[in-house]
Amino acid sequence: MDAVPAVEIRDLVKDFKTSLRKEPLRAVDKVSLVIQPGEVYGLIGPNGSGKSTTMKALLGLVAPTSGSCAIFGKDSLKVDSRDDVGFLPENPYFYKHLTGAETLAFYGKLCGIRGRELKDRVAELLVLVDLEGARDRRIGGYSKGMLQRIGLAQALVQEPRLVILDEPTAGVDPIGSRQIRDLIMTLRDRGITVFLCSHLLEQVQEVCDHVGIIFRGKMVREGRLEDLIAIEDQTEIVLQDASPALIAEIQALVKRSPDTRWLHAGKPKTTLERLFLRETSSGDEP
Amino acid sequence: MSAPNSRKLPFSRVRRISVIAGHAFTQLVRMKVFYFLAIFALIAIASNFFDLPQHQGSEATGSHGMDVLRLIKSWSLGSMTLFSVVFGISATALLLPKDVEDRTLYTILAKPVPRLDYLMGKLLGVLLLLFVSLAMMDVLMTAMLQVRTSMVLSHQQDMADYLKWDQPARDSVRFETLANGPTWGLQAAVAAVFLRSAIMASVALLISTFSSSTLFTTIVGFLIYFIGHFQADALGGGDTGTSDAMRHLSMVISLVFPDFQLFNIIDAIIQGKTIQLLEFGKLVAAACYYIIVYTVGSWFVFADKEF
Repeated sequence: MDAVPAVEIRDLVKDFKTSLRKEPLRAVDKVSLVIQPGEVYGLIGPNGSGKSTTMKALLGLVAPTSGSCAIFGKDSLKVDSRDDVGFLPENPYFYKHLTGAETLAFYGKLCGIRGRELKDRVAELLVLVDLEGARDRRIGGYSKGMLQRIGLAQALVQEPRLVILDEPTAGVDPIGSRQIRDLIMTLRDRGITVFLCSHLLEQVQEVCDHVGIIFRGKMVREGRLEDLIAIEDQTEIVLQDASPALIAEIQALVKRSPDTRWLHAGKPKTTLERLFLRETSSGDEP
Repeated sequence: MSAPNSRKLPFSRVRRISVIAGHAFTQLVRMKVFYFLAIFALIAIASNFFDLPQHQGSEATGSHGMDVLRLIKSWSLGSMTLFSVVFGISATALLLPKDVEDRTLYTILAKPVPRLDYLMGKLLGVLLLLFVSLAMMDVLMTAMLQVRTSMVLSHQQDMADYLKWDQPARDSVRFETLANGPTWGLQAAVAAVFLRSAIMASVALLISTFSSSTLFTTIVGFLIYFIGHFQADALGGGDTGTSDAMRHLSMVISLVFPDFQLFNIIDAIIQGKTIQLLEFGKLVAAACYYIIVYTVGSWFVFADKEF
């Protein structure tokens, strides 16, 4: 494992001056987190809890009041820290007069990519985000999901080692949301570190291996997802084609143990999202 | 995978600025600003026909013929000034807030793009568009003047033959007519129009770095434009009777606010006067001073701005 963390935030504090109040508003209060290379880290919390501010501080878009942020060991306030990072902001609207391919080419050129390398990179990214059919269409005509995907593509244009996604599925329908989730999985498989924040907890649970919960500017819980969500004093057994007699036998066995309680038995349920996706993806034929 | 070395070539900064400038230029072009050129063409053609009764018949060959040439220059340079100043202020005032509102600024600054490069790129994009627009208008005006000057000279020739003028009289009228036609001085006037709008664009850039609305930037921009025109008059600049204190105050103010007194050469050129190279050099130097000061000021504000 790389010795240098992909993201290192130490005791980050961010105060905003407000015109109405004399006291500054503390948006982030001594937040610390470390993301190792290759991890997918989800920062979750209610609106106004400081998620976006933390991300902006990491990108140098806001300056910390105190504390520090670093990307692969480089201070976030320095421009060269952005060599290895791609960012997708919440609800982005790219230049409407540009086509999808022109948008990616513009961001590629900003990163110093030129000529054949740029053309190949644009083509590769359009395939990755499934927008090669809309490459010459102006961004103004893109749907919300397409905008998010072109946004993700621009974040990846210079092959960054870290991708920061602020609410990547905000306002996107379940199919578009699933496509973005799959893209995040692809990034993880490629060894790219992902730092995201989202309101869709189920999606965070599906893609993240580390999670931080931020509330009123403070980090209240943080750690490996499996560790955080496991209920240590309970055990889950899932059986297939079990007869009622077998269930009764198991129940009787459990009753014989003085320290164990039978809590629940029933059919496991799929999610509404999975049901929706299954129904809409099989409805292609009239 | 980090950025390959090929992406950090020498002049990469210049390239990056040119990418942002080229993009800002395209963005503005696609806002259909060149429609103004059609209006300009109409104004330039129409200026031929203003004051119509006076340039009928033989009078058109005398001083009235030259009045028509002055009128074409006056209307054309006036239209150029109007377009370039309005456009220089409003386009620059629009670009930054729009990027913030659409969050495209976040995606740009999240790339390895220094904030100074971003600002310079945006400003150069506006200046490029002003340059191209003014160059096109200049070609149209020069062509119009060329045709009209030839017509006036031809009529003067006929009248001189009819009235049997001597050669010195013919030369004198011809010289004066040519001085009112398309000259290098006229090109200097167009350059002055460009430089004045470039100053205003850089003023608008500075205001937009701390302003929260495009409207505020535009209004303050025009206010500064008028201050630039009238500050010397208001403080009695150039008046021999003015006290030392007022002269010093005037000088200090002209270091902060643009002093457009130098740009009065445009009016002199419209009247057919020639301008000295030194005078034009002073104007270029002053324009460069203001543009650099306002751009550096914009950078100071923008470097610490939080989004």
